[in-house]
Amino acid sequence: MKFGGTSVAAAEGWRNIRDLAASRHAEGARVLLVVSALAGVTDALKALSAEPDADRRMAAARDVIDRHRTLAQRMDIALPGTVEDHARGLLALARDGQGDDPLAWRALVQAHGELLSSALGAAYLGAAGMATVWVDARECLHAVVQPNQNARTRMLSATVDARPDAALAARLAGQGEVFIAQGFIARDDEGRCVLLGRGGSDTSAAYFGALLQAARVEIWTDVAGMFSANPRQVPGARLLRQLDYEEAQEIATTGAKVLHPRCLSPLREPRVPLWIRDTHHPDLEGTAIGPQVREAAPSVKAISTRSGITLVSMESVGMWQQVGFLAEVFDAFRRHGLSVDLIGSAETNVTVSLDPTENLLDSDAVAALATDLAKICRVKVIAPCAAVTLVGRGMRGMLHQLSPVLAEFGQVRVHLISQSSNNLNLTFVVDEDVVDAMLPRLHELLVRAGSLRTDDAQLFGPSWQALYGGGEQDLAPTWWHGERARLLRLGEEQSPRYVYHLPTVQARVDALKRLSAVDHVHYAIKANPHARILHTVAAAGFGLECVSPGELAAAKSAAPEAARLFTPNFARRADYVAALDDGATVTLDALHPLAHWGELFRGRAVLLRVDLGRGLGHHQKVRTGGSGSKFGLPLDQLDAFLELARAHDVRVRGLHAHLGSGILDPGHWGEVYAQLAALAERVGSVEVLNIGGGLGVPAHPGEQPLDMAALDRVLTQVKAAYPQYRLWMEPGRFLVAEAGVLLARVTQDKRKGGQHYLGIDAGMHNLIRPALYEAWHEIVNLSRLDAQATELYQVVGPICETGDVLGSDRRLPASAEGDVMLIAQAGAYGAVMASHYNLREAADEIVIE
Amino acid sequence: MNALADPRQAEAFRFVRCSHHGGTVELVYAYDDGPELIERIRFPAAPALPPAREPAFAAALHLLHWIAGISYYKAGIPGRILVEDALPDADTAGLLDELYRHGLAEFAYRNGLELGQRIAFPHDGRASAPAAALALPRRTLVPIGGGKDSLVAVEALKTLGGDATAVWVGHSPLIAQCAERTGLPTLNIGRELSPVLFEYNRMGAWNGHIPVTAVNSAILVLAALLYGFDAIAFANERSASAATLEYEGQEVNHQWSKGYAFEQRLHEWLHRHVATDLDYFSLLRPFAELGVTRAFARLGGEYFDAFSSCNRNFRIRGPRPADRWCGQCPKCHFVFLALAPFLPKPRLLAIFGRNLLDDETQSVGFDALMEYRDHKPFECVGEGDEARAAMYALSLRPEWREDALVARFVREIGPQLDAGNLALEPWLEASGEHGIPARLAGALDAIRDA
Repeated sequence: MKFGGTSVAAAEGWRNIRDLAASRHAEGARVLLVVSALAGVTDALKALSAEPDADRRMAAARDVIDRHRTLAQRMDIALPGTVEDHARGLLALARDGQGDDPLAWRALVQAHGELLSSALGAAYLGAAGMATVWVDARECLHAVVQPNQNARTRMLSATVDARPDAALAARLAGQGEVFIAQGFIARDDEGRCVLLGRGGSDTSAAYFGALLQAARVEIWTDVAGMFSANPRQVPGARLLRQLDYEEAQEIATTGAKVLHPRCLSPLREPRVPLWIRDTHHPDLEGTAIGPQVREAAPSVKAISTRSGITLVSMESVGMWQQVGFLAEVFDAFRRHGLSVDLIGSAETNVTVSLDPTENLLDSDAVAALATDLAKICRVKVIAPCAAVTLVGRGMRGMLHQLSPVLAEFGQVRVHLISQSSNNLNLTFVVDEDVVDAMLPRLHELLVRAGSLRTDDAQLFGPSWQALYGGGEQDLAPTWWHGERARLLRLGEEQSPRYVYHLPTVQARVDALKRLSAVDHVHYAIKANPHARILHTVAAAGFGLECVSPGELAAAKSAAPEAARLFTPNFARRADYVAALDDGATVTLDALHPLAHWGELFRGRAVLLRVDLGRGLGHHQKVRTGGSGSKFGLPLDQLDAFLELARAHDVRVRGLHAHLGSGILDPGHWGEVYAQLAALAERVGSVEVLNIGGGLGVPAHPGEQPLDMAALDRVLTQVKAAYPQYRLWMEPGRFLVAEAGVLLARVTQDKRKGGQHYLGIDAGMHNLIRPALYEAWHEIVNLSRLDAQATELYQVVGPICETGDVLGSDRRLPASAEGDVMLIAQAGAYGAVMASHYNLREAADEIVIE
Repeated sequence: MNALADPRQAEAFRFVRCSHHGGTVELVYAYDDGPELIERIRFPAAPALPPAREPAFAAALHLLHWIAGISYYKAGIPGRILVEDALPDADTAGLLDELYRHGLAEFAYRNGLELGQRIAFPHDGRASAPAAALALPRRTLVPIGGGKDSLVAVEALKTLGGDATAVWVGHSPLIAQCAERTGLPTLNIGRELSPVLFEYNRMGAWNGHIPVTAVNSAILVLAALLYGFDAIAFANERSASAATLEYEGQEVNHQWSKGYAFEQRLHEWLHRHVATDLDYFSLLRPFAELGVTRAFARLGGEYFDAFSSCNRNFRIRGPRPADRWCGQCPKCHFVFLALAPFLPKPRLLAIFGRNLLDDETQSVGFDALMEYRDHKPFECVGEGDEARAAMYALSLRPEWREDALVARFVREIGPQLDAGNLALEPWLEASGEHGIPARLAGALDAIRDA
């Protein structure tokens, strides 16, 4: 069992260690504890060993010793003599300085962190009634010289012979049941104390596990294990319950920080499992790493990123089939001390990646390398890049499931793709600044595409959000569970049929009203312009956002008193005339209206919709080709717009930007809000910032709903910085999606080519989102809601299009003709986007209270 | 708010009164009979003003009142200026006329306005009594702005070991963080504009660039007298004196109040009207931007992940480069280009989080810096010759020359230029006049030899 610096730095941590060791001991195991130095002590000792002044070294040593003395007091034990001995040793080293073997001196100084903590721990555990044998790790772990090591790495980043040592196991067995040893240190052939380098204590635990052929190694830390992505970037990342050594190594190497990759290799051959556990949640099953798991569905296990990558691209017509070209190239890297990681090659180009090191950042190594390489080829240095890596065993066999992920990469500059020769990873090197925004989306796409099999509870545990992020918000059962009988009746009466549940609309209205930072909400009625819904929303004081004369008319007729906001795109002149006559607030998003119809707007106030373009994650898509960006005024035309406004006495009363849709990360609105505010400061007349809508609604199982409290916090923070602006939002789908369902009845059943099709009487003419956006809607058999889901269906409609699929690979009870099926979250962009294609009739719309 | 009259229709702009009480300064202005525009400056933990400094403080307070009025005057630029509390003397009125005319030149150009004879401060025709020495403590106020220049000044002053305080005006998390990194004592002076000005802006009042360095300078003069400093060390380069363009026969310089002419004018005015031992100067005056960026590359390591010269107002601090550098504005372009010859490429790219020179969509911005097909932008950036020299230096460097905009320079722009004028080295030399007092002259060596 290994415990890190935070655990051993506090008395409370030691109580925890004692309880955990006791519980393992009670299971009948002999327990060896491996401990780090107290948090901060290794850094202090490192600083001490770099200090030329003896008095300052002594003072630093005394500080370190005092920390242990204080801890002993908190543990309620006297400072043990063993600690006093190590303290005297440290003071002597500090006084004498480095002498004639500086590296050995440094190693020994730093080793005192672990010597002190383990000695103190042994005394505490003994006092707490657990007889504990203090073991000197240097007596057990023997460093062996590796061919690629120099004097420095031999001393400060040593490798240990990890072959099972039965003699050691027997010797320890003869001494007791519970042991404590130091992480990070070992001994070399000359009897000197050496260090294991970064991740040293984890590695020590692994060495001990291998030498003793332990039942398992447990790494106790502050997180339950490895996750399917970095939780800081992807709060919905899932805990990985089971990994094989190679996968875990790959994840650790490509970005995860919880485990140092080097601590897995000693365990692989003796097949000792390694568990990662959370000290604060000892009961939580963490990650178990062991030999390859048989009979598991192939799955991507994780998506990881490494930043700060520099690419060197070398282009030469001369290299084709030229013997020795690559040797010459790589020799240049070696000469400048740069290590190459990924490689991509073509007939005339070789591109390689360099991992970030301080040497790379602050020396002239890259310049010198480029100068050398320029003699033999054209060289280009591309940075800062990030490597995004998908990890999973058998990656080549999963390529067909990755198309949505590849499409996402199609939106950004991909500099290099590398598929590892061990078939464990697929890596994309992209610009560093796109990664933060991209990663949550990629994770979500992997889940949706079924390539990250979060439905397999053997492989994937709870999300980080659920474990550490304040808990998964309780997903109340959706309204239609409670209305099942009524819905069945409605569906049997007539189908297909939309049903809207007004109390759910009201609940979403209330959620928006709780956003204290938002001054005014406009409902984007394009999502669902049903009169009863408009009435409900307007009754709450919301305005109505319209994009056409038709919508303006619908809004006016259903809720004449509600404020109307007109935000069209490429509308005709007459549409603006109609909107101005109607008294709506008009949003412009191009120069054309003011340039050509300026008189129309004279003396009026307008909102201006801008395209914030790059600099915002979500808008990276605009970078290439600019497709999908017909909306908004580009920022480089802002001055021209303001001049036109001045010329026609038009006041720019507000700025507006819209992110996109289905966004579940509150941070995005904060960014848009802050960007708009910074822009508004350049336009004196602005009173209002409209940050649009796009509030996401979770569709897929396991997706987190938007954290409205967090959203309010983000918005409030920006508002505090820019109190002079009123904040508007204009959500659409958020208000109505969950309130609506589409009812349909089963028509036919067919098996074809291994697929099982279930036909229903609703199709893409009623609900086009699955066909148009590959949107995922939950589908249930309402007639057999409680029956076991045994069949895997392709749920299809009656339209003569291959794409008329409402849900693919849906696990449902065996269904029969006439069963009532329910398609959930159909309240937004459902009926309103319907067509009469194939001359099929529209579904009718029912509102229930 | 409907009762407010449009300042553009006003007949006169009035300097109503100014006062100081317990560290809070109030500056009051108005248009015609409109509401009072009250600006407040707050000096934290202000000590009592020694009686000996009272006359000097009063003179400096009036100057601040007149200078800070420029923010409000520009909303309407009416034909008449009325000074109601105390008339300036002829010398002072001359300084103010100059400041308002030059400092608002860009504002006038951008709004298509004719300032001409509108700006004429009334004066009482008398000359004031000459100021005396106040035996101010030998301490330096260093205004910092979060950008590279003031941080170079700070590091240069630190090498001299004298007593210095980092000071800034207004709320800015970015500056606060940089100030903390300097390790110097800090002073953050509060400034609240009158909210009525925002109402005027919403009504469509004139808006645009004002010479904010002049306002800050006048505020720091009060701080120097209040807390006791004998030196105010700005960090304005030689290139700040170069005009951006010429309009209606007048030079338009975005950074006029950072230029040497204004520095000298204010310095001399202070010696005549406030105190003969209060020095106002710029530590970087003899240097071009490139000389300063070179010094920053060597002295500024502490600040690489904290500083920003970007002109977007980042009110919300974040850890990523994109939270400090918008990557789109002329300041981002210029600082990137000017640092590039002096930093390892991966380090520079880590600071900015992206490579602006390998992004073809940024070509217009870099062209403007090099005054290629465009005039220099209205920003505090270096001269066109400097930008060309930096770009030329990169075009000779294998690790840079394949990047999109450097390659374009090699292909398209470079051949049109005389290579003899493109050397980097001349820009690294200190030259020209400066007003640095003898006690701090060593700072010049620290910058040059960094």
